[in-house]
Amino acid sequence: MVSEKALIADLQHKDKQSQAFEVLVNTYKKNLYWHIRRIVLHHNDTDDVLQNTFIKVYRNIDGFKGESKLFSWMYRIATNESLSFLKQKSRKLGLNDMEYQERLVKNLQADVYFEGDEIQLQLQKAIATLPEKQKLVFNMKYFEELKYDEISEILGTSVGGLKASYHLAVKKIEAHLKED
Amino acid sequence: MKASDKNNPFKTPDSYFDTFSDTLSKRLGEENLKVPKEDGFILPESYLEDLHSNIQKKLEYKETKVVPLNPYKTYYLVAASIAALVLLVLGLNWNTGQEIPSWDAIANTDIENYFDHNDVGLTSLEIAEVMPIEDLKITNFLSSELSEEDIVDYLNERTDDFEKLNLEENE
Repeated sequence: MVSEKALIADLQHKDKQSQAFEVLVNTYKKNLYWHIRRIVLHHNDTDDVLQNTFIKVYRNIDGFKGESKLFSWMYRIATNESLSFLKQKSRKLGLNDMEYQERLVKNLQADVYFEGDEIQLQLQKAIATLPEKQKLVFNMKYFEELKYDEISEILGTSVGGLKASYHLAVKKIEAHLKED
Repeated sequence: MKASDKNNPFKTPDSYFDTFSDTLSKRLGEENLKVPKEDGFILPESYLEDLHSNIQKKLEYKETKVVPLNPYKTYYLVAASIAALVLLVLGLNWNTGQEIPSWDAIANTDIENYFDHNDVGLTSLEIAEVMPIEDLKITNFLSSELSEEDIVDYLNERTDDFEKLNLEENE
């Protein structure tokens, strides 16, 4: 496997850029897909955001100075793209963030790319009630199994703060599931 | 510690202690809330395999769109804008000596033609309502002058009952 440093160098080199980009997409597509999917919930929206994320990475790779890991940088772009996408959509529909989240979860039952059972649907409903930061942290820690250090680099929050957010998120989700 | 005591009258079911740990773990598991580790999301077949080519197409499409056909286009646009401004200023200055068009300069026939051939969206009644009638004279509508004598003669000859005109005595 190509090292991250070598991959960045190739991406910033005009002649090698195309091939390196293919390697980049194939290396990160799965992780980024699931990261975005758990934020925007529906496949078609995820596809839009994922493609935009890679296009943004491709266009801005020359400006990447290596101050953070490539993986963290890409996750940060994917997170921002996903959140902007949701905000744009909710604004178009004249809904606030919470109302739009509720609608997204409600529509999951009709989504052909959601095969969750009743508990999984309840879990999504519970996650939808969380504040933005807690939602991100819960998904990244619980489903994506990222380390606190990695999440900290992506979201720019201290590890202590992340632990508190995760703890609160778990408590709220448990309470929500017990209610139902 | 002895495994059993001869004097102990109590007994346990067979293999109770062998299965105790499993039973206890199960109980604890039930008490702890189970949050599913799977989230139920799936994705279309071969979606990830086709992703790179889809992005590549999008990139090529966007790149084709942004390639400037003429790198000097911006300069031309700026030059054209300046030229247009100069012409406008000059044109305004040249026009200051000219007369401003007035109603008097428009021939009556042109106005009539306009009303004849354009739908002004007003009925004759609506026009009558906004027309100032105080200054109107019969001669505004007739091309030849009529003397009062001719009018009285006409009325005498053509009107059967002069009274029906309902004229005031002094008129």
